[in-house]
Amino acid sequence: MMNMRTLLLFAVCLLLLALPQFLNPYWTDVFNNIGLYTVLALSLNIILGHAGLFHMGHAAFYAVGAYTTAILNTQFGVPVLYTMPLAGLLAAVFAMVVARPIIHLRGDYLLIVTIGIVEIVRIALVNDVFGLTGGANGIFGIARPMVFGFKLKKPEHFFYLIWGFCLLTIFFMHRLENSRFGRALNFIKEDDVAAEGSGIDTAYYKLIAFVLGAFWAGMTGTIYAAKMTIISPEAFSFWESVVLFTIVILGGMGSIRGVLVGSFLIIGLPEIFRDLAEWRMLVFGLAMMLMMIFRTQGLIPPPPRKYDVLAYLKEAAGAVGGGRA
Amino acid sequence: MEEFFQQLTNGLAVGGIYALIALGYTMVYGVLKLINFAHGDLFTIGAFLGLTLLTSLGLSDHMGPLLGVIALAVMVIVLVGLIGFLLERTAYRPLRNSQRLSAVVSALGASIFFQNAVMLIWGARPLVYPHNILPTTAISIFGMDVPLVRILMFSTSLVLMYALYYLTHKTKIGAAIRAAAIDQGAAKLMGIDVNRVIALVFCIGPALGGAAGVMVGLYYGQISFTMGWMYGLKAFTAAILGGIGNIPGAMVGGLLLGVIEALGAAYISIAWKDAISFLVLILILIVRPTGLLGERVADKV
Amino acid sequence: MKKLIHALLLGLVLSLMMAGYSWAADTIKIGVQAPLTGKYASEGQDMKNIVDILAEKVNAAGGVNGKMVEIIAEDDAFDPKTAALAAQRLTTSGVVAVIGTYGSSITEAAQGIYDEAEVIQIATGSTMVRLTEKGMKLFFRTCPRDDAQGAAAAKIIKEFGSKRIAILHDNSSYSKGLAEETKALLDPASIVFYDALTPGEQDYTAILTKVKGSNPDLLFFPGYYNEAGLLLRQKMEMKWNVPMLGGDATNNADLVKIAGVDAAKGFMFVGPPGVNDLDDPAAKEFLATYKSRFNAMPASIWSVFAGDAFNVIVEAVKKTGSTEPAKIAEYFRTGLKDFPSLTGTISFDAKGDRAGKFYRLSKVNEKGEFILQ
Repeated sequence: MMNMRTLLLFAVCLLLLALPQFLNPYWTDVFNNIGLYTVLALSLNIILGHAGLFHMGHAAFYAVGAYTTAILNTQFGVPVLYTMPLAGLLAAVFAMVVARPIIHLRGDYLLIVTIGIVEIVRIALVNDVFGLTGGANGIFGIARPMVFGFKLKKPEHFFYLIWGFCLLTIFFMHRLENSRFGRALNFIKEDDVAAEGSGIDTAYYKLIAFVLGAFWAGMTGTIYAAKMTIISPEAFSFWESVVLFTIVILGGMGSIRGVLVGSFLIIGLPEIFRDLAEWRMLVFGLAMMLMMIFRTQGLIPPPPRKYDVLAYLKEAAGAVGGGRA
Repeated sequence: MEEFFQQLTNGLAVGGIYALIALGYTMVYGVLKLINFAHGDLFTIGAFLGLTLLTSLGLSDHMGPLLGVIALAVMVIVLVGLIGFLLERTAYRPLRNSQRLSAVVSALGASIFFQNAVMLIWGARPLVYPHNILPTTAISIFGMDVPLVRILMFSTSLVLMYALYYLTHKTKIGAAIRAAAIDQGAAKLMGIDVNRVIALVFCIGPALGGAAGVMVGLYYGQISFTMGWMYGLKAFTAAILGGIGNIPGAMVGGLLLGVIEALGAAYISIAWKDAISFLVLILILIVRPTGLLGERVADKV
Repeated sequence: MKKLIHALLLGLVLSLMMAGYSWAADTIKIGVQAPLTGKYASEGQDMKNIVDILAEKVNAAGGVNGKMVEIIAEDDAFDPKTAALAAQRLTTSGVVAVIGTYGSSITEAAQGIYDEAEVIQIATGSTMVRLTEKGMKLFFRTCPRDDAQGAAAAKIIKEFGSKRIAILHDNSSYSKGLAEETKALLDPASIVFYDALTPGEQDYTAILTKVKGSNPDLLFFPGYYNEAGLLLRQKMEMKWNVPMLGGDATNNADLVKIAGVDAAKGFMFVGPPGVNDLDDPAAKEFLATYKSRFNAMPASIWSVFAGDAFNVIVEAVKKTGSTEPAKIAEYFRTGLKDFPSLTGTISFDAKGDRAGKFYRLSKVNEKGEFILQ
């Protein structure tokens, strides 16, 4: 069974590797966007899917990362990819500062506050805060990233960068899910009072979820800035946050596979509907409703956690028995 | 000082509209715990339907401005209420027993759908209500010129709000709505048809939004297919500010939001106006986590 | 469950293959990148309609060099990411040139992609100065630049002899650009108010009350007609009679509809001639065709610039007998002189900007008509 899955995984990776050879630049770029949104949605998934915090302002963290990269690169000439850790770090610090006072808010109150944060960030960017963000024009002329002396320029180059980062993210998220931290978050999602009662510092864990999600979104911001070479506030509107939110919920909260399928549909469908011209968003809205109605728990909800209780009990009994003998 | 009072009336006038839209938000939320993101677009539909009815039926020509506007509002209320009812049946009811956020995504889908439907039916250009319907006289209050229409609009908002308050707090149906809001299961056991209550709420909420759409159209004159998103967001903010699910809270939240915006623009910065109102919202929520009039819900233990 | 995923994946892969396959046909393909959905959908749809009409006319007359013209329109939704995708899609569909797009920052997101793919781009509504300052050989525009308009606006404001000027922009890249270009040329002491409103709202009374407090003798609003109309209307309700001057984006017949004739009367704007000022017989004939088909005139001059772009592309292909971008670009810079088109004569300068000055002052009269001064 395990072998089958590994094999399948390899096959998928190989297919991904070969994909740009079969696709024209347009579809490669569509895949790039899907990959970018997958990474972003996976980072949101920590906060929304695992910890169950209603967070609709993820674009704010993504924006902090992208603008960090853009400013460092255009003003100080730092090579784009080197700015990635710092972009993540700044986004994480930003998340820590803003999330700390609001972390105790419940459900929908948290939702509107996160919307407020993303709007404040956007307004700050448009108003050219500190004279660094370029206002509505944004920042242009971000250098192309270099990897081992090779300049990434074409969509297929970015394809490997983005999907490489995406695979790394999936691996990391998979490990996170099964870690003590991941389990604690799920406990908080299911019942935060009980979690608190079991000795989990819920406020701390929620905050860490925010910080971690923001860190990852910030790093993705670097890739976005590198890919577009120009960034402007329109790219980080409240609507972007809504798209990410939709991907996570539609995919099935807390499910990596769900997020993948979700971003394929939410980002891919409007492209497939392109021939409908001005009708395409109407059809897309309809599709969103229908998908939710027919799969009310999301497309691929995470499987319930399984623990082999019997084996655990046996082991415990054995230990106790051994002690007696 | 005179400017301060002028700004206060400016804020209250806008706030009245926010409050009216927020009422629909809050009613639906109260019973279903659903953030109906399509609410703003139902407001847009109300504004466009109103314009079509007004120009095609020539209401104000036949009945005079006052009766004409009332007849128009009634028609729009009925039509938008019907759309709300259908929306609940098709997009929300199948999701009622699943996790809460699924319905939110369905609502977002509905919002995209309605917005683009309005664009395809009425075109992408902003449309304009006829100018000659409402009187343009201004009256002087404490030395300030306040257009009569603003006062009419504000009082209409208050009347509608009071009617809603009366409905929910003084009538048998209102008791059923409130019972369903507190505990659907218990309400069912008391013999309340919860499905009917929800359907009713989904008629009233959007209908109020539709009425607000007609008012905005008549007063500001210009309507566009994207305006619902902004008004919806503002109304949602207002509802949360007052404590979502709470009807007087939506009124207070709406008026307050309008005033904060006006004063923020006047005394701090116009460009940062929306950021200021969100900041105030966040500060208020930090101090009062369930909004101004929201009930302090004890954590479940 | 697994079956569903498999089916979905299969479906996606199949549709990808279908889309990747293009039929080779002997047509001249011209792309239109425009906001067909989203908040500027009206402009984008007008652009597409105008180009469609012109293309039909060219095809009915036998095409260009014996080939039919095919228009491929892609939606950029006024969003940079969507714009980048639209650009990739157009470049892979084998277009000779792309017409569009409307917003400056949106054009900029696509600019690099067209440049790298060696496709000609002619922007139609993007007035941001730096777009043509990058040395891109294949980038042109049929609309004017913010700095030219800023100079024209500042000149007119000086001629008015205004001593106390209030400038209110809307923080969009167009509006802020124009506001800054104008402000830079005016005496700093004469500017009593400078701030930005939030576009898309409907109640600007709070803002007007604040501006009124600074007691200006002229209100300059380099924004769009929607907001300008509402400002005029609400200004009149406040009984405040300060003269108001707008930029070229207020040049739209809907402004008078929104404001009402009484409030719009006396409003002035600086800009290229509006749709109703086009007096060239060919332009008039074209607008008549447009009106008979869509039951309205194009809402603004911006979409008509898309028609200009189409005309010059067709002209260049005819004259050079080639669809090679480098040759067409060369022809635009050196061969094309005072080519008569919808909004007047067109020449491009070395940077790719439309040459010539065509800013004029218009004023709204008692009947709500725009009258050139």
